[in-house]
Amino acid sequence: MADNGAAPMILTEHLTKTYPNRGGKPIEAVKNVNLTVERGEIFSLLGPNGAGKTTTISMISGLIKPTAGDAFIGGHSITREPMAAKQLMGFVPQEVALYPQLSARQNLVFFGKLYGHYGAELQRRVDEVLAFIDLTDRQKDRIETFSGGMKRRVNIGVGLLHKPDLIYMDEPTVGIDPQNRRRILDTVKQLRDEQGMTVLYTTHMMEEAQELSDRVAIIDHGEIIALGTQGELTQQVGGQDQLELTIDGAGWSEELISTLEQQVKGVSRVQYLPPDEAALDGGIGLTGKLNVFVGQGRRALPDVIELLNRAGVDVQSVKVQEPDLEAVFLALTGRALRD
Amino acid sequence: MRTIFTIARNDLFIFFKQPGNWVSVVVIPLLLTLGLGWAFGVGEDSGPEKINADLVIPVETAATQRFVTRLHAVNGSLRLCPMDNDAENACNLEDGQAIPTVDQALLRVQNGRTAALIVLPPDFATEREQAIDNSSPIAYYSLEDPTLPSPILQSAQTVVQELNGTDVAEYAGMALVDLFDELAEQEGQTLFADAAARENFAATYRTALVRRMENQPELVNFTATAPMSEDTTLQGFEQAVPGMGAMFVMFTVLAGMAVLRRERSDWTLQRTAVAPVSRAQILAGKAGAYFVLGMVQFLVIFTVGAAVGIPLGRNAPALLAVMAAFVLCITGLTFALAPHMRTIGQAANLERLISLTLAPLGGAWWPLAIVPPFMRTIGHISPVAWAMDAFQKIIWFNGGLQDILLELGVLLGAAAVLFGIGVAAFRIDA
Repeated sequence: MADNGAAPMILTEHLTKTYPNRGGKPIEAVKNVNLTVERGEIFSLLGPNGAGKTTTISMISGLIKPTAGDAFIGGHSITREPMAAKQLMGFVPQEVALYPQLSARQNLVFFGKLYGHYGAELQRRVDEVLAFIDLTDRQKDRIETFSGGMKRRVNIGVGLLHKPDLIYMDEPTVGIDPQNRRRILDTVKQLRDEQGMTVLYTTHMMEEAQELSDRVAIIDHGEIIALGTQGELTQQVGGQDQLELTIDGAGWSEELISTLEQQVKGVSRVQYLPPDEAALDGGIGLTGKLNVFVGQGRRALPDVIELLNRAGVDVQSVKVQEPDLEAVFLALTGRALRD
Repeated sequence: MRTIFTIARNDLFIFFKQPGNWVSVVVIPLLLTLGLGWAFGVGEDSGPEKINADLVIPVETAATQRFVTRLHAVNGSLRLCPMDNDAENACNLEDGQAIPTVDQALLRVQNGRTAALIVLPPDFATEREQAIDNSSPIAYYSLEDPTLPSPILQSAQTVVQELNGTDVAEYAGMALVDLFDELAEQEGQTLFADAAARENFAATYRTALVRRMENQPELVNFTATAPMSEDTTLQGFEQAVPGMGAMFVMFTVLAGMAVLRRERSDWTLQRTAVAPVSRAQILAGKAGAYFVLGMVQFLVIFTVGAAVGIPLGRNAPALLAVMAAFVLCITGLTFALAPHMRTIGQAANLERLISLTLAPLGGAWWPLAIVPPFMRTIGHISPVAWAMDAFQKIIWFNGGLQDILLELGVLLGAAAVLFGIGVAAFRIDA
């Protein structure tokens, strides 16, 4: 089936999933989700556990039928033209969906056949994927002998085998060590940057969504509560940047707090941690720590440094901390992402 | 079709890649079939070939000798003790001794050492006049059910009727001769030249009577037949091979419930479903794999049967048809139950429970012919019973396809219903 190149990669219209509840009110797992994912972007669905991420991705992938609404993959309805839609997508579930008794190669070959690849073409694709996930040397070993990270890499490899235009990744870094996590995140970026693949990525880890995503949809209780780039989202909730400056405590005077608040545009609050308190907060020796809360941190930074220099305060290091998605989620729901 | 084959082949490949499955599909069924076949067969036959009956003769005469001879002739299955005892003490006599008294013989009946006791009276007739005038009865003792026919009693009665008939006919005939002789004398004539001629006539007449009575065309001559197969062990395998085959097919195929549950938990089933593969193709591939496994299981056990000499080749198409219908039925049952399994452990326990209930209920462990009629009826709830009926018709009675149409119809009908339920309930989500 041909991909309709003009259509967005994913389009959902009023996607809804309701489960019956014996003797109680039906459970609305996903409520009226409308999304558009453009080609070649990494789009993250961010939300706490149980928010409806997996249910949404399961409906979009054709695994479960929506109670209402529809999803379109490259212009093909997942409910009415499932075969055409499925041919365009790869799927990396949260679980390691592999046969543990089979080798990495045998798993890849089996799932490759399900996508209609056979013979020499299939073997070539398997070789390419094994090289991409860096497991060529372990290809004949059974999956059950692999580490968690290696299993995750094969899990991703299966999703890539048929060179899909779109790949769903449902929390692919759950339960693995930082080294393998880093490798997977780099792989996701590589898929977009080098292969032009569209990635729909679900996670409950704010750092991953921030690092990977072109756009993020925050989902909670089955509803999309915010959608946009990271910057757009933080602006939506009026978030402020935080300038963290390490300064020489010897030149500090309390008057500088009011001077900064009055003379630098956008500064709302200034907090000074003297050397003894700064040491508790990671400071070294006689250095103090100055936290300046400001609307546009990067714009305000030169003015802040100039003012401090004029007052004879030596600035040793600077860090601009922009408001993150955690803060956005907190502002929208009153709860932290990990609650 | 290629996708269905790919799914089925992958399931079979995974199944046979695990050494434990070779043990459960080949090694254990082989050992159990061989063991049970041997156990069923050793010492088994179609019933005793000889029936022990004690015979007490207080006074031996020509008449008693004739009674014994005629009893043997009438029922060749009777072993009259102690006279027919052999080197293996078939009469169960203590120290191979003769039975001294009626009381001791009676104890043997009560102890089940002999089926019956026949006691001839001391005045058992030696002459026809005595037989007519002194009719002391023959005593018969047995634990037999009085409402059922007894082969020993019937044989004894046959002999007694024969002897009495001869005596009565001789008596009547000679009385008639005496009457004619008297009438002839009144006319001044004589029937016999002398007394010796008369005795000659009586002897000839008696011989003719005896020959006639001994060759009555209506006489029933009972002989226990030997079993069809001289090797009784083979009969054990004729029960054990289809029985164990049916049971292990259930173990193997119903294990698919746990496998399907695991595939849902591990998300391999969902990953398959996300590929451009229809639900029907997934179902057909999975069902195909378990159908093949069931047939392999049957063939493994029936190969054992063929190796020990069961004549399986007489009607191979009928045999294969029963196997296929039964495996389809059990595969349908697997797919009907699998969607309702909440855990792998629950599926494994149900597999054992169903197999170990339906197998004996349906006659896999012993023939349904030996259970009470109501249990035979209840047993046919189990598809095993229908399969065993068909197997028996083919193996025991050399039946063909036309003889097992009912059984095939029931099994295939059940398979269709169960598959319908399974297809409707088939779940892909975890």
